[in-house]
Amino acid sequence: MSSIIAEDWLRIFSEWTSKLALVKRGAESEIRLGYFMGIPAIFKYRVRKPYMHPKLAQALVYMRTRREAKVIAYALSRGIQAPRLLAVFPSIGLIVMEYIEGVTLKDYTNIDQVKAVEYSRVAGRIIGMLHKAGVSHGDPTTSNFIVSKSGELKLIDYGLADFTEDVEDLAVDIHLYRRAVESTHAGIAYNMYEAFIGGYKSILGERAEKIIERAKEIRLRGRYVEERRTVWGALR
Amino acid sequence: MTIILGIESTAHTFGVAIVGDYKPYILSDVRRVYTPREGGILPREVAPFFSKVASECIREALAKAGLTVRDIDAIAIALGPGMGPQLRVGASVARALSSYYSKPLVPVNHAVAHIEIARFLTSLKDPIVLYVAGGNTTVVSYSEGKYRVFGETLDMPLGNLLDTFAREVKIAPPYIVGGRHAIDNCAEGGDFIEGLPYIVKGQDSSFSGLLTAALRLYKSGYKLKDICFTLREIAYSSVVEVLERGLAHTGKKQILLTGGVAASDLLNEKIAVMASLHGAEFKPIPKAYTGDNGVMIALTGLVAYKWGITIEPSKAFIRQRWRIDQVDIPWYYDFPPVEV
Repeated sequence: MSSIIAEDWLRIFSEWTSKLALVKRGAESEIRLGYFMGIPAIFKYRVRKPYMHPKLAQALVYMRTRREAKVIAYALSRGIQAPRLLAVFPSIGLIVMEYIEGVTLKDYTNIDQVKAVEYSRVAGRIIGMLHKAGVSHGDPTTSNFIVSKSGELKLIDYGLADFTEDVEDLAVDIHLYRRAVESTHAGIAYNMYEAFIGGYKSILGERAEKIIERAKEIRLRGRYVEERRTVWGALR
Repeated sequence: MTIILGIESTAHTFGVAIVGDYKPYILSDVRRVYTPREGGILPREVAPFFSKVASECIREALAKAGLTVRDIDAIAIALGPGMGPQLRVGASVARALSSYYSKPLVPVNHAVAHIEIARFLTSLKDPIVLYVAGGNTTVVSYSEGKYRVFGETLDMPLGNLLDTFAREVKIAPPYIVGGRHAIDNCAEGGDFIEGLPYIVKGQDSSFSGLLTAALRLYKSGYKLKDICFTLREIAYSSVVEVLERGLAHTGKKQILLTGGVAASDLLNEKIAVMASLHGAEFKPIPKAYTGDNGVMIALTGLVAYKWGITIEPSKAFIRQRWRIDQVDIPWYYDFPPVEV
């Protein structure tokens, strides 16, 4: 009986949130913006994959929503600048979290290049702290770092994050950040990346070397290489 | 007018085909497939089989095309990746033909050939490719001179997963019955069992945990059709998800599916659904060309030969672990190189 009530409640809730402003529709999720108990909030719905058996699609939505929430909660507990969790509903794939008002690091490079490089160092520290806590982010591009109104840098979107100590998984983060800066901020790519690595090493110390080395290998394998203009020559 | 004789001998198929750069392009296509009576593909059994059928295959390919060896411009050979003993048979035959008749020898990468024949048959020129076979599970896409690997299996290939499970539960060999895999036939009318591991890490998939879990269910008495249904559902879904991430990542607009497992109707259906979701174009390739064949080697050899890629017979060593991203593809945008 209680489960029927819970399902009804969730249905009403998702109907209500479906009326909220849609901010972004990606392959993995749908992001809406609204208020949750008076707080400006992001409503992130995970998409059920239509090419999968409904039970498998549902199981993945459930597991991944739970894992993402767990990673965020854990990251917050380790003092990492992440959005605060407001509510989690794994069975409908919904995470409600604090909306961080601000500018993405990607856009910030157009506002103040010198400060952007400094923020890139902070980004390196945040990823370093995350890795030290045994978590990989999975998509640490400059679009996923937000310079908040109060001037703090925060890391968002833990949709591909996972608990891992594997050098390869951590190295992918480094590589993805490097690729993000070289593909979108060619002019200051070198400075941005150097600062990021500086920040990263300041947290991880000697352990960083092995991971950075592996990130270079990943690049040489040609993996994750995109058909975009590159400035690898400049970064070498 | 250029005519190439191609030889494929990387796994279970000894294939000889003749391809020309004029219609109908495929002049002949001869194949001999080794089917084990029991167990898997043992190189020590397949290699002697290849040696036995090699000369009759070449004779037949020439006869069907109505040509003699003198009409052939070059010999194309799949030097890898594949199983050593089988590769050695094909390479020996190709080297001998090349030296004896003074024909240039063209080295071909088997994985590249699977992609090139798919591009040729569908006319999709710049796709992201899911290559799934007994020995390979990779998502590749061309970028800056080479086919780059965007995701791959971390342990066993998808085809190997299906074959191994089928063998362990004694529904194979034969692995393919009526053009369908034993697992597909077994999964008919099955139901989904929850709780088996689905593993996609970033852009890679992993199947060894799934195989172990499926075998455990079998031993604990679950219905075989349900296990087959679930195993297949999870395995296919995970590679399609890796493909989907690759599609989003590269921004490509076309999708190809190639390799032995590409014969699966269900896998084709799943990719079609995923493609329409992202507004990408997807065309299945004819089933006759999903598995290993000589045509793909001859065709890729034809392009490579036109770009001046040849190898001295004395240097044509086999390469069991020849990775696809080690091969230069200078002809990518000028494909196919056929006379109009």
